[in-house]
Amino acid sequence: MNSFDVLKISGSALEAQRRRMNVIASNLANAQSTRTEEGGPYKRQDVVFSSMPIETNSVELKGVKVADVVTDGKPPKPVYDPGHPDADAEGFVQMPDINAMEEMVNMMMAYRAYEASVATYNTAKTMMLKSLELGRV
Amino acid sequence: MSDIFKTLEGQLRASTLRHGVIASNIANVDTPGYKARDVKFNETLNEATIELRSTQPGHMTPSGQVAGGSVNEDQRASWGDQNNVELDMEVAKMTENAVFFQAATTLLSKNIQMYKAALRRS
Repeated sequence: MNSFDVLKISGSALEAQRRRMNVIASNLANAQSTRTEEGGPYKRQDVVFSSMPIETNSVELKGVKVADVVTDGKPPKPVYDPGHPDADAEGFVQMPDINAMEEMVNMMMAYRAYEASVATYNTAKTMMLKSLELGRV
Repeated sequence: MSDIFKTLEGQLRASTLRHGVIASNIANVDTPGYKARDVKFNETLNEATIELRSTQPGHMTPSGQVAGGSVNEDQRASWGDQNNVELDMEVAKMTENAVFFQAATTLLSKNIQMYKAALRRS
């Protein structure tokens, strides 16, 4: 294996977790959005991770990538608010079904995974620098 | 002379590979279906220098000089998404591996220093 593969692996994890964080931020930001470009209320999104080989000759080492950003199939949540401009004839507004607690938990998981990958990156860097000092008196 | 260098080189190679495998595990902590892996170091000893006594002829047969490693999947139970990576365990393994790597580099440096000292004119 190439010594720099480990940096590529950690880098891929950092990128994937950052994209996941973007999706979580988008979900939280749009928790009250009743209008979207596609029409209807905002729909919650989630990322799907998939492992990918870093190099063709090293099958053991796998990085990670965001394979897809999927839209949650949950129906919108009707909220009674007759004063809202998007309320229907009975006074119900179709709101996105976003659970702030769930998003926060996902955010913490993404943060912990990001942190661990930063630690991996730093350890790899220390190891490389240490091997550069070989033979130095 | 070259024995200790070869042994330590093997240790460095194996540690580098293990760090890569641990990095893969940490990167795939949230990938559905991913199975954690670890490197099993192959103990290799030189028959010529160390005589090993064993009760069975098949036991402790050295296969070569340079230590390598084989990558195996962990048999731990997995969660609902068929992923069995334990983040804290992987971080602990990574720290342990880095300490072994540092030990090998320190030993190599000291060996080089010894040869340098022997070569130096008094």
